[in-house]
Amino acid sequence: MKPGIALFRPVLLAAAVAALAPSQEDGITWLTSYSAAIQEARRTGKPIFLEFRCEP
Amino acid sequence: MFDAQVVLSPKSSSRGRLMEQYVCARITRMDDIDIGLFDYDRNNTLYFFILNADEQIYLRYGGRDSQSPDSYLNLESIELALRHGLELHKRHLAGDLPKTPRPKPMFARDFPLLVKRTFDQGNCVECHLIGDFQNQHRELDGTLDKMTHLYRSPDLKTIGIFLDVPKGLVVKEVRGAAQEAGMRPGDRITAFQGTPVWTFGDLQYYYDKLPRNATSMKMTVDRAGQAAELTFTLPVRWWLTDVRWRQSTVDPRAYFDSRPLTDAEKKQRGLPGDSFASEVTRVDPFAQMMKSHALQVGDIIVAVDGVGRDEVANTAELFIRLRKKAGDDVTLDVLRGTDRIKMPLKTFRMSFRK
Repeated sequence: MKPGIALFRPVLLAAAVAALAPSQEDGITWLTSYSAAIQEARRTGKPIFLEFRCEP
Repeated sequence: MFDAQVVLSPKSSSRGRLMEQYVCARITRMDDIDIGLFDYDRNNTLYFFILNADEQIYLRYGGRDSQSPDSYLNLESIELALRHGLELHKRHLAGDLPKTPRPKPMFARDFPLLVKRTFDQGNCVECHLIGDFQNQHRELDGTLDKMTHLYRSPDLKTIGIFLDVPKGLVVKEVRGAAQEAGMRPGDRITAFQGTPVWTFGDLQYYYDKLPRNATSMKMTVDRAGQAAELTFTLPVRWWLTDVRWRQSTVDPRAYFDSRPLTDAEKKQRGLPGDSFASEVTRVDPFAQMMKSHALQVGDIIVAVDGVGRDEVANTAELFIRLRKKAGDDVTLDVLRGTDRIKMPLKTFRMSFRK
């Protein structure tokens, strides 16, 4: 692995975890990143349910 | 409220069980979103898409009318949409779903005025700002067609289609053009101009793409398991809606409402039958505050800048909205009692203060 990538790895991991964090314990998990949703759909084979919503 | 009900769906609910079969994503910043792909009427507060990892959109959910942002948002119909989405995904995985061409990519950063207003100031790229600044750029480069770009999302009720909202595209009541086309209560709309539609959001989106000078269109319905194609004869101004809720800067603010005179009323006053002569029905309090005009309820406006007829506008108010730029000064010809008076009217341009 290139040193530059290694340096940013923890940051990237934290961002990915934050993007995957469920909005509530027993509720549906909502991603907040479009690119993370595409990656997750690729990984799982699921379709994407995408909402665009201005910050209330 | 609807948003919270969807977002906080318990996993154990029927809706939650459907949503568990999806990757759910909620995007509140449009900074890096391809707005060419995710095209929708940006004045919707919330809007949903169902798509796959290849960014092929299966369907849309959302849409509204002038009366309320929630007219067509419903927990039962969103479940229907989720079910349709899963069926379409199965067809996609089986190679049974035709690919749709991807629209030209477009990003919020492509609009310099929007960049200046949002990115450069560290402000959120709000959806309604994207729509508004797109129109400002169109106005500057001469491509703004207000009938298309300002009067987005025509209302199906104008052509007599009243949906049974919880049931998605099932028709509850028909009147006017829909009745004349042969549509019946209980029909389920399945295609618009040959394009399959699954939700109200789909239908409104494709209906909005119809050229504003169209005089007819086709819808396909499922009637007790049989497909029927219906041809609609569109009424004049089928696209016209009340746009005041949109807060659009390209919409001249004139601070009055009016109604078209009837043919008999025009005849009585010796006005041509094709004139847009119209009676003032309400004066907005802002008119006085902004020193916009001195119109009174009951005044009859017979001309704007000497023009009394228009191929589209049937009221002076609509003529100003369509043919004048926000901020223009105009002169009205007004009948008040037995007097005919010239009256200045200053239109205003809305600005977003933040």
